[in-house]
Amino acid sequence: MSRLRELQADFAQAVLNGVDTAFGHYIRVSGLGGERRLQVYRNNVFLSLTEALKAVYPVTQRLVGGDFFRYAAARYIPLYPSTSGNLHDFGGFLPEFLATFEPTAALTYLPDVARLEWAYHQVFHAAHHPPLDLAALAVAPAERHGELTFTLHPAARLLASAFPLLRIWQVNQADFAGEPTVDLTEGGIRLLLIRRENLEIELQPLPAGEFAFLQALAEQQDFATACERALAVQPATDLPALFSKHVQQGALVDFSL
Amino acid sequence: MVAKPAQSGLGPGTIPAQAGIGLRASHYLEVLETRPPVGWLEVHSENYFGAGGKPLYYLERIRAHYPLSLHGVGLSIGSTDALNSRHLDQLKTLIRCFEPALVSEHLSWSSVGGRYLNDLLPLPYTEEALGYMVRRVSQVQDYLERQILIENVSSYLQYTESTIPEWEFIAALTERSGCGLLLDVNNIYVSACNHGFDPAVYLQAIPPAVVQEIHLAGFTVNRFEQGEILIDTHNQRVYPQVWALYRQAVRRFGLIPTLVEWDTDLPALEVLVDEARRADAIIGEECHVAAA
Repeated sequence: MSRLRELQADFAQAVLNGVDTAFGHYIRVSGLGGERRLQVYRNNVFLSLTEALKAVYPVTQRLVGGDFFRYAAARYIPLYPSTSGNLHDFGGFLPEFLATFEPTAALTYLPDVARLEWAYHQVFHAAHHPPLDLAALAVAPAERHGELTFTLHPAARLLASAFPLLRIWQVNQADFAGEPTVDLTEGGIRLLLIRRENLEIELQPLPAGEFAFLQALAEQQDFATACERALAVQPATDLPALFSKHVQQGALVDFSL
Repeated sequence: MVAKPAQSGLGPGTIPAQAGIGLRASHYLEVLETRPPVGWLEVHSENYFGAGGKPLYYLERIRAHYPLSLHGVGLSIGSTDALNSRHLDQLKTLIRCFEPALVSEHLSWSSVGGRYLNDLLPLPYTEEALGYMVRRVSQVQDYLERQILIENVSSYLQYTESTIPEWEFIAALTERSGCGLLLDVNNIYVSACNHGFDPAVYLQAIPPAVVQEIHLAGFTVNRFEQGEILIDTHNQRVYPQVWALYRQAVRRFGLIPTLVEWDTDLPALEVLVDEARRADAIIGEECHVAAA
């Protein structure tokens, strides 16, 4: 290992894992000691990574409080270190982390809240995509419609939870002004997150059949399978209506046969 | 990037030898609507690495009205890991879309063994590190097919193994790799205070021809029993001592595009514009002196 590589590996270890004894000899002592100087870097690193998490997870932060969030972030950072020079890529494992984080075990809904916020973050930065080409779809032979597969808009995500996730999300928005209590027993929700042409992001609650239909298409199942799955969970689903709704609203953007 | 914004159509042009400001998300709308009188804008490259959405939408529109500089904070050029090809690809795509006049990175490293600390960490100033940086900067310039500027960073420690003063290291790096220098005057001041060197010596060692951009920013002082340490926080106005050093820099390096950075505790846009106006006033005064 080159001298430079050894220094960098020891530096990263000392900052992320607090193993500072191996690093002291690298630092020239003048005025302030080496540990104090290294601490400046440790603070900077944890501060900027924590800020990145706070930017993606404002609701999660609000639910646990700022001090606790910083504490959790300090545990998360060395366990799931950043792997990109772009801070917007950081933090995707927070839901998994929270699911096994003992101090928040009682907040059973918290990992799902974090999943919603990560999905929202991905939708925010996702690619633009033109609407589905209806003229091209019109010439697909009718007898083969069942074999069609569709693509979800890159800025769309589906998310299901056993908790009233939308209510939790709404009452924890900075500008929310209604009744702030959420009854956790009110039941779960199925959501479509989608970025509209005006770049605003919508959170649409979906009935079980509609969700199953989109979920199947997102998994690259063909149209016939998607319809079967929708009817299996909700026999009264109006399939033609919801198909045209999601084409018009831009959730389905591409097809292939 | 999947969906590319249309090219600006303006061509890269040049950054005028005036003050510019850093563009941040909370100022997008106001910049578009009021078009503040600053010479140019700079953005952090990584903030536009996403495939779509608001950041690219606004940058595309704002770019139509201002010359642009792309300033990277995450390429980790000084890392002993292989260069991150995804990061380089995203940067190259961004350059193609927005045609910036300047592209800059830092004299630092931020990752090793695939773990990123996402901070601008100092390199030891050794012959080994110099040779390494020359190769890495050359690789990046070859890949991007353009010159880049390298910025001196603030540092809070010096390595026992460093054998070359930072100013000599930088002068040699620019000469051997052909990169330009983004001279951060605040960083020189911060490091000078933290390590006890004379910032004037630093300026004197830099060959004037390599300086293509100057950065200014505010710092924070952390006090301890054994002494104090200055931190490069970009969260307040430029200190008077840094303005004085900037004046010396303008005297030595001439008319250089100057950016006022402000990244945390972001103030109203007019405060940034006011800081830029102060930099412009110094540029104007020093040119007047030089002409007379």
